[in-house]
Amino acid sequence: MNFNTGNAIVVDHVTKVYRSRHLGRLRLTVGVTDLTFAVREGELFGLLGLNGSGKTTTIKLILGLLFPTHGALSLFGHPLSHREARSLVGYLPEIPSLYRYLTAEEILRLYGELSELPSTVLPRRIDEALALVHLEEHRRRRLQEFSKGMLQRVGIAQALLHDPPLLIFDEPITGLDPLGLKEMRQIIVMLNQRGKTVFFSSHSISEVERICHRVGILVRGRLARILDQAEWSQREGALEALFMDTVQSTVGTATPASR
Amino acid sequence: MTAKALSITRYTVIQLFRNKLFSILGIFGCILLGASLLIASLGGDQQLRVLLDLGLACLEFLALVSGVFAAVTLILEEMEARTIALVLIRPLHRAEYLVGRFLGLLTALLLSMGIMAALHLGLLFFKGWRWDASYLVAVAFSAGKIMVITSLALFLSLFATSSISALTLTFFLWVLGHFSQELKFLANKTGYPAFTALVKAIYYVVPNFAYLNLKDHLEGTGVMGRWLGGAALYAVCYTVACLTLALGLFRRKEF
Repeated sequence: MNFNTGNAIVVDHVTKVYRSRHLGRLRLTVGVTDLTFAVREGELFGLLGLNGSGKTTTIKLILGLLFPTHGALSLFGHPLSHREARSLVGYLPEIPSLYRYLTAEEILRLYGELSELPSTVLPRRIDEALALVHLEEHRRRRLQEFSKGMLQRVGIAQALLHDPPLLIFDEPITGLDPLGLKEMRQIIVMLNQRGKTVFFSSHSISEVERICHRVGILVRGRLARILDQAEWSQREGALEALFMDTVQSTVGTATPASR
Repeated sequence: MTAKALSITRYTVIQLFRNKLFSILGIFGCILLGASLLIASLGGDQQLRVLLDLGLACLEFLALVSGVFAAVTLILEEMEARTIALVLIRPLHRAEYLVGRFLGLLTALLLSMGIMAALHLGLLFFKGWRWDASYLVAVAFSAGKIMVITSLALFLSLFATSSISALTLTFFLWVLGHFSQELKFLANKTGYPAFTALVKAIYYVVPNFAYLNLKDHLEGTGVMGRWLGGAALYAVCYTVACLTLALGLFRRKEF
């Protein structure tokens, strides 16, 4: 695989083994095994997999929240240990965990300061981010008063606040109602059209099929296959068939998720 | 201190005051008012003495309880609520986060101790007390002890397997730290070299809170002056050591 310039994310032979101790006995659990792939700049890349296949582990490794047992990762050519790499990413977790005691404006100010936004620019960026997610009227309310949908919007605002070139969404459509689903889809497509690289995980094949340029299929912690849009766009339901084939053919050969 | 660590400090202060820390001020006010009513029957000097000692003891105790609880949950709560992820994915060092959180806690505690001291002084002046500068020294060294114990609690919270075990161990070390001189005495008296070495090791590792007690150092101005500098230096060095150890553990944490 060519890992030269033009890649937003490079995952190079990454393995993650979780170590835990119970009653003095060491337990090793494999999160992902020998993961190798690259996401090109400007691409909309979906990571598909069943529950427990390693999607969240992969995302946490890319964000530097987990450390790889083997292998290396880089963002736009910067190793993850460099601060530059982390200034280029916006992240929306599956359930946005935010400081409930802060107001929407205060939390965006905090994240903006931590993302090195200059104080001359920050107020305007907060206004823009709140306007994008339709929360201008609620900017001075504490997040503990917000509904789940509103918290999701604040989560999107904080991911976009510093205008990062790479956006990583972990299961962004899980638990959304049809209206929220449509809005999230529109936001993802709009961001990609503005030149952002978008990497997201999901187990909704239909959503991935509609919007992604490429899809990676994770099975039991291994990247079983990477598909191009051309491989599924000719026929409705093709991605689902390809996904099922991949899962079924790989399950027999994959290393068990835990030992 | 970086701008990012200062941002974390500022929001930690907001968190602590919006969440729970102000409630201890209410408790302190109630204890003082209740005590002043109870001791109203005592004579003038006795009344002032009891009110002074009781107020200072309450101030330190409430700062200790709220400080240790807040320190133990300072990082653990963020890990459990997963709020830490959206902070650590940004371009900041883990040291900036840890130091920012600790300084936020310390600032909030010092502010609440200052408010409690102001309430206490108000009541003392109302009862006819005459100003004595050693009051400020006593409060300052209570604050020093609180700084040491909260840094230790923070380290233990990252080291221990649960917040309960970290809390228990911190309070145990708080008590043990007040018996440092007894530990030293025990180490010198015992006849077994291995036991002497063990007790001496405990004496040097456990924070020496007895050394930070104002009452034990009031003999003369010369002694007092030397103690002030030494005790302040000791408190700062012990705190920095705890934070350094905490950072060593925090750098390896995964979220």
